[in-house]
Amino acid sequence: MTDTTLNVDHVTKRYGSSSTEVTAVKDVSLSVKPGEIVLIMGPSGSGKTTLLSMLGALLKPTEGEIHLNGTIISALSEKHLPDIRLKQFGFIFQDFNLLSALTALENVSIVAELAGMKGVAARKKSAELLADLGLAGRLNFLPEKLSGGEKQRVAIARALINNPTLILADEPTANLDSKIGHEIMRLLRQIAKEQNRSVVIVSHDQRIKDIADHVLWLEDGQFKEIVSMAIDPVCGMSVEREKAFHLSLNGMDYYFCAKGCRDEFAADAEKYQQTNEASF
Amino acid sequence: MSLAHRNLFQDKTRLLLSVAGVALAVMLILILSGFLAGMNHQITSYLNNSPGSVMVTQKGVVNMLGATSLLPPGADVQVEAEQGVEQVIPILSQFVILDLHDKKLPAYMIGYDPGQGGGPWRIRAGREPQTDDEMVFDWVLAGRHDLSLGDSLDLMGQTFKIVGLTDGTTSWMTSFFFITRKAAENLLRTPGAVSFLLITPVEGTNSEDLIRRLDDLPGINALTKARMAANDLELFANIFSMPLRLMVAIAFLVGTMIVGLVIYTATVERQREYGVLKAIGAPNRVLYRVVTTQALFASLAGSLVGILLAYGLAGWIMGARPQFLIVLDPADMLWALLSGLGMALAAALFPARMIAGLAPAEVFRK
Repeated sequence: MTDTTLNVDHVTKRYGSSSTEVTAVKDVSLSVKPGEIVLIMGPSGSGKTTLLSMLGALLKPTEGEIHLNGTIISALSEKHLPDIRLKQFGFIFQDFNLLSALTALENVSIVAELAGMKGVAARKKSAELLADLGLAGRLNFLPEKLSGGEKQRVAIARALINNPTLILADEPTANLDSKIGHEIMRLLRQIAKEQNRSVVIVSHDQRIKDIADHVLWLEDGQFKEIVSMAIDPVCGMSVEREKAFHLSLNGMDYYFCAKGCRDEFAADAEKYQQTNEASF
Repeated sequence: MSLAHRNLFQDKTRLLLSVAGVALAVMLILILSGFLAGMNHQITSYLNNSPGSVMVTQKGVVNMLGATSLLPPGADVQVEAEQGVEQVIPILSQFVILDLHDKKLPAYMIGYDPGQGGGPWRIRAGREPQTDDEMVFDWVLAGRHDLSLGDSLDLMGQTFKIVGLTDGTTSWMTSFFFITRKAAENLLRTPGAVSFLLITPVEGTNSEDLIRRLDDLPGINALTKARMAANDLELFANIFSMPLRLMVAIAFLVGTMIVGLVIYTATVERQREYGVLKAIGAPNRVLYRVVTTQALFASLAGSLVGILLAYGLAGWIMGARPQFLIVLDPADMLWALLSGLGMALAAALFPARMIAGLAPAEVFRK
């Protein structure tokens, strides 16, 4: 038994070769303990998706090792990975990615059945799980009849049905309004703490920071110090203070991802000033 | 209900289209195959229903419908004298052109001795000819030209009275009609001529040995009726069987492509969902099963509907145009279902390949 659920050890991922080679993730290391929630943030193209794919055994690192409960999953052959993903991981996607032809109940039970549970037992367990998540009245609804928040709760139930060690969530609040997004995140935190499950979330959403135990900033494929980050009040992007376009106005400092954003802000500062409070 | 069935029934229009496509393809396969079988049946109908198991022809002649045979004089006496021959039935036959309502139609004339046999095997109405100006006519051909019992028909300058109508003697190519052998000799101006001898061997006689001995007689050729029928089939049916078989193959391909296209587009549309299932941990074989089940369901449902349509259409065609015989053997149902199975498996190949190529990590891409 190890004291960490997930241990990422000097992982690098490169695509292409020679002149076309691109390093998406560079020498990244990370540990996630049981019940811990880790939030990985970063600008678009920073390598978040590649890192998440590697953590979920969907992609193999070029270098380094990924350990899950002491097993080096990055060294496992392709034929063993589906079973690992099915039983050890729970995936939550930005677009919910529910199967459109199946009801809420079937969307959850199919994953249990894939893991070997019999139909009746799978449906019973799925129904209980969905009821726990407040969806008792929506079991036989197709995804198209569910609201965004309900869909995401079905997706959470699907992620939990096989009692995974680690839940990987990709932009789980991106398609939800702020209230529902906050509820979903509180729910995820509650699950992590009560059931002692580790959660890794990749997101741009600053509000998620509240529920995370640990926040990491990924940029150019590497983790960076997050104290030097600020939010561009125009486009909402996180930017590195030292490298960002800067503007001082009424005694306040503002940081921008591009000159265009700074000019836009300068032209109508009042419109954007309220959003600047979110810098960190 | 499985994911495959849910996927299929979610878009009912698409399901109906694929079932209809397969049904039409299977129906076409069955109708064409049945037509070929019917044609084979019609071509060999005389040989299959006439008495005897061995046939004697003019030297060098190996089929009945494709050649004119004229036996040397006295051949029947020589054959009858051979050991192991129980009965010899001479017939004089020839393709002739009938002039019916100013329309020229080929027909196969059989001149036979009514007392001996070799004539019509199923008379639907009337009787066999008793005099040399009477004939037994095919009832389908008679019906198409408003001829009935008692009507007269001019043939090669002579007038014959229709005294009987036969069943099972028609085909879309030609029909059989029967007159006395004497009348045939008069028509062809070949007194005493014999085209073929229908031989019934004595029970227990070795047919091969008899044929060998008959073959040694001067100017004649002996062979089994089964061989003769096979030669006729080879000569006539094969001319049509190639294009018909080609059409059957095309129907199979069309059916396969319809199911393939429907299942492929359905799979492409759900590409992301299959990717999600792969990411979650569904192995490829589970996804192949989903795709194959969809193809199988559409194909087998289509095959069953196609079988029903084929029986309905065959009945309608034979009712409206009796000269077309469509033989739908119960074994054809198995053939149709196997065709459907073949279509399903072939149709599932491309979607399965697409699924195999899906990278599960793509589900994280927006």
